[in-house]
Amino acid sequence: MSGSLAEVLADAQLLVTCGPGGVGKTTSAAALGLAAARTGRRVCVVTIDPARRLADALGVDAAASNVPHEVVGAVEGKGSFSALMLDAEKTFDDLIIERAGDAAQSLLDNKVYRSIAGSLSGAQEYMAIERLHQLHHSGDFDLVVIDTPPSRHAIDVLEAPDRLVKFLSNPMYRTLTLPTRSLARVTNAASGAFLWTVKRLAGPSIVEDTLQFFRSLSGMEAGLRQRAAEMSTLLRDERTAFVLVSSPRAEAVDEAGFLATALHDGGFHLGGVVANMVHPLPPALPASFDATGVTGPLADHIAYHHDLRTLALAERDELEGLRLLARGAPLCEVPLLDHDVHDVPALIELAAMMTG
Amino acid sequence: MPPPWSPRSDLVTATLIVVGTSRRSTTGTAHVVLVAGKGGVGSTTVAAALSLAAARNGADVLLVSVDGKPGLGPLLGGQPLGPTEHVLRTFTGGGRIRGRTIPPEQAFGDYLDLKGLGGIVRKAVSATSLDMVAASTPGLEHLLVLGKIKELERTRAADLIVVDAPPAGHAAPFIRSARGLQAVVSNGPVRQQADEVAEMLADPARAEALLVTLPEETPVNEVIELATEVEDDLRLALRPIVVNACWPDRPGLALTVTAAARESGVTLPASARSALVGSSAFGRARLEVQREQLLRLATAYPHAAVVLPRMPTPRLMPHHLELLADALDHAEALR
Repeated sequence: MSGSLAEVLADAQLLVTCGPGGVGKTTSAAALGLAAARTGRRVCVVTIDPARRLADALGVDAAASNVPHEVVGAVEGKGSFSALMLDAEKTFDDLIIERAGDAAQSLLDNKVYRSIAGSLSGAQEYMAIERLHQLHHSGDFDLVVIDTPPSRHAIDVLEAPDRLVKFLSNPMYRTLTLPTRSLARVTNAASGAFLWTVKRLAGPSIVEDTLQFFRSLSGMEAGLRQRAAEMSTLLRDERTAFVLVSSPRAEAVDEAGFLATALHDGGFHLGGVVANMVHPLPPALPASFDATGVTGPLADHIAYHHDLRTLALAERDELEGLRLLARGAPLCEVPLLDHDVHDVPALIELAAMMTG
Repeated sequence: MPPPWSPRSDLVTATLIVVGTSRRSTTGTAHVVLVAGKGGVGSTTVAAALSLAAARNGADVLLVSVDGKPGLGPLLGGQPLGPTEHVLRTFTGGGRIRGRTIPPEQAFGDYLDLKGLGGIVRKAVSATSLDMVAASTPGLEHLLVLGKIKELERTRAADLIVVDAPPAGHAAPFIRSARGLQAVVSNGPVRQQADEVAEMLADPARAEALLVTLPEETPVNEVIELATEVEDDLRLALRPIVVNACWPDRPGLALTVTAAARESGVTLPASARSALVGSSAFGRARLEVQREQLLRLATAYPHAAVVLPRMPTPRLMPHHLELLADALDHAEALR
């Protein structure tokens, strides 16, 4: 059951980092990928929305998005370390072009499609998985690491393929895609009400675009379903490992707990837990030393020590919570560093901490 | 053994950094305050502390959690939040805090009722079809929630409505939704709703935003971007930015432990010295990062900012919230 993150990095073909916001998930994904690359594997890290300096360190920016390219100076020997920044809209467009055949252009031009590609809840998550699938099957990489998008509910990314299938199975959607010529011939009460609602709310032109969008989509429905099913299987493969990243903050731990349960219930494989940004625990002051009444600069040292030790001890309790939700998978504690991680040497240092 | 955490005055003195002046004279009389920040910076905590500070001073406060954080209720001494409002706490002096969530489906239903569309559509329009309506009208979900908040504001549901806005990548789209829909939809009830919400947001006497960040590089970058966007593009008045979780500055750490002990006239046992050396080195480096980032924020965004103390616990309890409310009161008094 147990083992180490190093073993997970040696075996996995896909690695998905997930966790609450603000816990250093993107940096962890990059460091884990780098650690695997430094053992000789060909690794690609897919980031969604990296902080600017990390993006600079990885050499990914908007101009060079969606295509993997090698990070220089990261790996010696036979491994390789590449990175790319996900462009969800571009990935969606490519999928449409690949799957929709003749209807592709009208679909790409459709106003409703354009807004959905950019903002449909779940579209970004779905496209992250889609890109992961493409890279996995390209044969260029031994391991693909993906950082999940910041989402209100981190679980969204896992449910994205299933949700698309559900969306396509909605009876209203089915009625909408019937080859009717006018609204009057839509007899299904539910879809009629739906169209009427949209029309009343947003105006008739949106209704026309919506109808056209759903009809164009119907041509590629089977393809999308098949792809969604493939991805659903791939995400549950035993060589796909999920790494849950959290900080010791109670809110983060609670959310990580929710996510761990969702992974377990969904049949996903939890490869490990990273407890990130843990404050170092300084040793206690000896009982014989009486700190009361100390003034001057030493009082600052004593006060800081007291605050840090109080916080670090309380964090150890929260770590127990993380250990429980790891359910036997390796837990890796990463200390809060006294500097930010935004260059390759700092990533190498972090990679060593995670696997050392 | 001393209590694990006792309120100390050095933590409660929130610093109000004022570099230049606020672009608008934020009088603090707006009825709606949207509290927003990237995930993990503690904007929910700040929304709770702001509500507490106002209610302690006699205000009737309604705390709205868009994301439906149930833990907010207990943190304020009440039941978990739900879609119907309930009183979380009352104060001698007349103040009270009520809390609620606004699920998009509920906002949608209320909106249809308001427009007289409710009865007919209700049966057909389930939560799944809201997904579809929302998909064909991007930003609609956010707009409906903001529209509900606007209704609460218009009917004077409280002296102060504190909104805990969605975190992460969702804060800006949330605030931006009205503008976005104004661009796409040219008429009809959605357009009218978007206009009314935009009008409320642009009126500093009715609505303000309070942005929360941490004294770290990435959060500071992001809050500067968000502040510019909110103020310049969306014309929403900003309260001073809140820099959350700042450790109290300890200038004595500039000296080594040995030199500090000498200056303080204390003979340190070797074991005490070695216990302090590690924590002081760590503290020196972290406090330096904190100072740098506060300076960077003050330089890039030369307006008022409020610094809130880091509570030395990973699990915030009601008494910590009282301390944060004290700090906000203190900052208010300085303004």
